[in-house]
Amino acid sequence: MEAISGWWDDFFWGSVVILQIFVVALIMTVLFGLIGAAAKLSNNRVAKSIAGAYTVVFRGTPEILVLLLIYFGSAVTLTQIAQAFDPEIKFMDLPPFWAGSLAIALIVGSYATETFRGAFLGVEPGQVEAARALGLSNFQTFVYVRIPAMWRLALPPFGNHMLSLIKDTALISIIGTQETLFVAEQAIGTTGKPFTMYILVGLIYLGFSTVITLAVMVLEKYANRHLEVGR
Amino acid sequence: MSFDIALIVESIPEMLGGIGLTFQLLFLSGALGLVLAVVLLLMRISGRWYLAVPTMVYIYVFRGTPILVQIFIIYYGLPQLEFVRESVFWPILREPFGCAIVALTLNTGAYVSEILRGGVLGVDRGLKEAGAALGLSIRQRFVYITAPIAIRLALPAYSNDVISLMKSTALASTITLLDMMGIARTIVAETYAPYEVFLSLMVIYLILTWIIQRTFGLIERRLSRHIRSEV
Repeated sequence: MEAISGWWDDFFWGSVVILQIFVVALIMTVLFGLIGAAAKLSNNRVAKSIAGAYTVVFRGTPEILVLLLIYFGSAVTLTQIAQAFDPEIKFMDLPPFWAGSLAIALIVGSYATETFRGAFLGVEPGQVEAARALGLSNFQTFVYVRIPAMWRLALPPFGNHMLSLIKDTALISIIGTQETLFVAEQAIGTTGKPFTMYILVGLIYLGFSTVITLAVMVLEKYANRHLEVGR
Repeated sequence: MSFDIALIVESIPEMLGGIGLTFQLLFLSGALGLVLAVVLLLMRISGRWYLAVPTMVYIYVFRGTPILVQIFIIYYGLPQLEFVRESVFWPILREPFGCAIVALTLNTGAYVSEILRGGVLGVDRGLKEAGAALGLSIRQRFVYITAPIAIRLALPAYSNDVISLMKSTALASTITLLDMMGIARTIVAETYAPYEVFLSLMVIYLILTWIIQRTFGLIERRLSRHIRSEV
């Protein structure tokens, strides 16, 4: 335990980075999921096939491969673009924080696409028809009727997607962000206690997972409050 | 932006040289993980708290932490402990391959055990009651009634977990193993051509995913042949 004592603040800031990545990636995941689901449910053949290819590719390849492709791929492209303007520039990349958040959001977003698609299909057609009959526009129907009805159905699987997201943040240490695994590596370099440090990282993640699980339970209760039987 | 076709043609056979290792990781940890999952399941549904509670803790810990952290704890962390270095397992845990197998097995076992439990809980109570009425013992009811139906119910979710496991094998490249992912990373480090190499590898992994899906699709059809409607 005394090996950790000098490292508490580093691990704390590492956890803050995890949280930042999680929040940024979560917002992108919801966006990708909604866009993907909308495309899959649309009548546009091009949008449908793009969304179909998106879910097949990102659900069928290893996460680490997607991450490395996006980080190193964007670095190659950005460097080429930068060199076109200024040949002096040797290297330019997307900051690992953003490349990593984008990569894990694309991956989990492909799962969210399927979840949201299923949830939209689960909305009772009668409710949508009622909204039409009341003269709501398509957009109003979407915001006031479809979304509130669908998120109740999407919540349990989406809770699992959030757990995947928080766990996938660990991968980003491979491309070098200052999150807890990165801190652990530095701490191991000076203390020579890999077991202690990695167990601590595991406990931090377990804490995050627990908070997310509890939060989803509370949200589910809230989303289903109208179905509770009155006392 | 040019695409180096020659490099693709050259690197694909090189990466396929690692497919044997990918398969070894997949099949070995898949099989061992399944055995572990069944043991965990039996402990979980045994109705004895001293068996069920440790199982629940185990599943909670392994599903709540990133597999990358689990791999690092086992490969980098365990050698810190003296009793591990002196134990009979040391020949396995000294090698990165052994560590990858252990980590993947422990991880997939936790997930698969929950999937199997879902299958067992999904078995219609009436069928078990009918078995009891016919005078079958608890063990007979589990083997002849619950298990066959539960396997069929759990199969779609299980095939997803096999795909997850296949994707997780790519993480073995983080502990110096040269599976397909490891070889691809070496080639990219030498040539700095991430698009060519990583996109080709994505296609290879997509084909593997497709094969796994097809295989399980065929097994599912075979297992549910009695409930398929006549065409």
